[in-house]
Amino acid sequence: MSERVAIVGVGAVVPRPQSRDASHREMIFDAATRAYADAEITHHEIDSFISVAEDIHEGTSITDEYVPDQLGAVLKPVQTIAGDGMQGVAVAFALIRSGIADLVVVEAHCKPSNILRHGDVLEMALDPVYERPLRVHPHYIAGLEMRRYLHDTGTTEDAVASVVNKNRRQALANPAAPYGGNVSTSDVLASPPVCEPLRSLEVSSYADGAVVLALASEERARRCPKPVWIRGIGWASDSPWLARREWSDAVYASLASGMAYQMAGIATPTEEIGFAEIDDTYAYKELQHLEAAGLAPRGRAGALTVAGETRREGRLPVNSSGGSLGMGYCFDASALYRIAEVTRQMRGEAGRAQIANPGSGLVISWRGVPTQTGGALVLGSH
Amino acid sequence: MRPASDQAPTVPTVLSALDQVEPRVWKGAMPVQFLYTAGAAGERFFQTLKRKGVFVVTRCEECRLTYLPPRIYCERCFADLSETWREVAPVGKVHTHTLVHVDRQGRNAASPTLVAFVRIDGTDGGLVTRLLEIAPADVRIDMPVELVLAPKRRRRGTLDDIIGFRNRR
Repeated sequence: MSERVAIVGVGAVVPRPQSRDASHREMIFDAATRAYADAEITHHEIDSFISVAEDIHEGTSITDEYVPDQLGAVLKPVQTIAGDGMQGVAVAFALIRSGIADLVVVEAHCKPSNILRHGDVLEMALDPVYERPLRVHPHYIAGLEMRRYLHDTGTTEDAVASVVNKNRRQALANPAAPYGGNVSTSDVLASPPVCEPLRSLEVSSYADGAVVLALASEERARRCPKPVWIRGIGWASDSPWLARREWSDAVYASLASGMAYQMAGIATPTEEIGFAEIDDTYAYKELQHLEAAGLAPRGRAGALTVAGETRREGRLPVNSSGGSLGMGYCFDASALYRIAEVTRQMRGEAGRAQIANPGSGLVISWRGVPTQTGGALVLGSH
Repeated sequence: MRPASDQAPTVPTVLSALDQVEPRVWKGAMPVQFLYTAGAAGERFFQTLKRKGVFVVTRCEECRLTYLPPRIYCERCFADLSETWREVAPVGKVHTHTLVHVDRQGRNAASPTLVAFVRIDGTDGGLVTRLLEIAPADVRIDMPVELVLAPKRRRRGTLDDIIGFRNRR
């Protein structure tokens, strides 16, 4: 049994809006090949495999049956988590902590370009009796949440727009970010409304992608070249009913980060977290999640962002990778892209996007509308 | 346009065999169909709404929570609430609202739809619904609203019996 668990290998394909030249299995093979090379392991050595996938995103039922070969997992223990990528990492962590496995691989991928009518997929996620008959695009849930968040916290629409400006600008320094750009806050505020007050440039664009992470016990990790240690992990779900949610608070992110902080022995996250990769599926979510994770007082994340404190060179760099706004929204694989970025930062491998003296890094993930499910991960370099 | 060979796309390991052809796609659908059930609580909610025009709720005294939509269990203490039915007037307040400019596929809609979450008075729940008879700019958070129900003869015991909510006069 291992008390400590490390991420020892990271492999990801560059997210992109279209990928007709590669099947999702080939993209996973690509990411896995990179991850195993990164960890200096072979697929023979891996004890257990976890994929994060959902049938309706794949267009096949029982999609987990299609997992093993592209990971080198044929004739090995495999399981699929139909949930947030962080929940897949949590299972890998548990397998290692419990002594069932020493070396575990987690895979997540997405190919939204294959989904002709994603609005239908989201609509099918709504309660069929009380919510779906409204027949409105599920972005409306984000519009409702954003409105109440702005109302309760006094956060301005300018501050939300500045998240887009920051993340897409930061993506320009990340060669794996297809949506980098110089988008001013006035560009954002002038973009067409989707579900007011939510605007089109505040919604992350889809990207196809695949990420593979290798996790190892302490003893096994010592034989890998670049381990980054998991200090704490958490995940939580709030009530699934629209009728029972808080609307302005990301309660799931407070609970998940609280669980991760407790495991990591972190009492004051503002002092102990050096940087963060935070879900920004919708721009306001970055602010809401920062406050939920205790990295900004309630209602202050917007002002911190406008003041530049969450830029790469600021006091608390947030989404130096560009986040989902800059790299693209990859469904449940988004969590793994965020984790991959934190790992690269802690190894000093982030190139032009590198943060000086990064310290411990935090990831906050969210499963998207209409869910109230998210995760948190604290990574440390020793 | 086919990329030139020196502008290798981003997944180089799988492209070498394909650089002469435009990849084909196979179109398909998942034509699955379902039946959904509202359950004992949902049936009671919709039948009462249809007959009497009021909302049925359940109440957990222990947690001081009133459920709308009603549930026969408490999500906090897990108590059985199947003997705790009450009725409440179909009035509430706009908790939050949004003006939806896209259709169900995310394309620009011909006309925007005003959607709100209405917290029903005397409950800890509410409904997502359309707001009626009001200009979007006039909607305010905490604005009192009342139910607009379909005429009795056209009610079918489903959510569509609720046309929306309007400003309470």
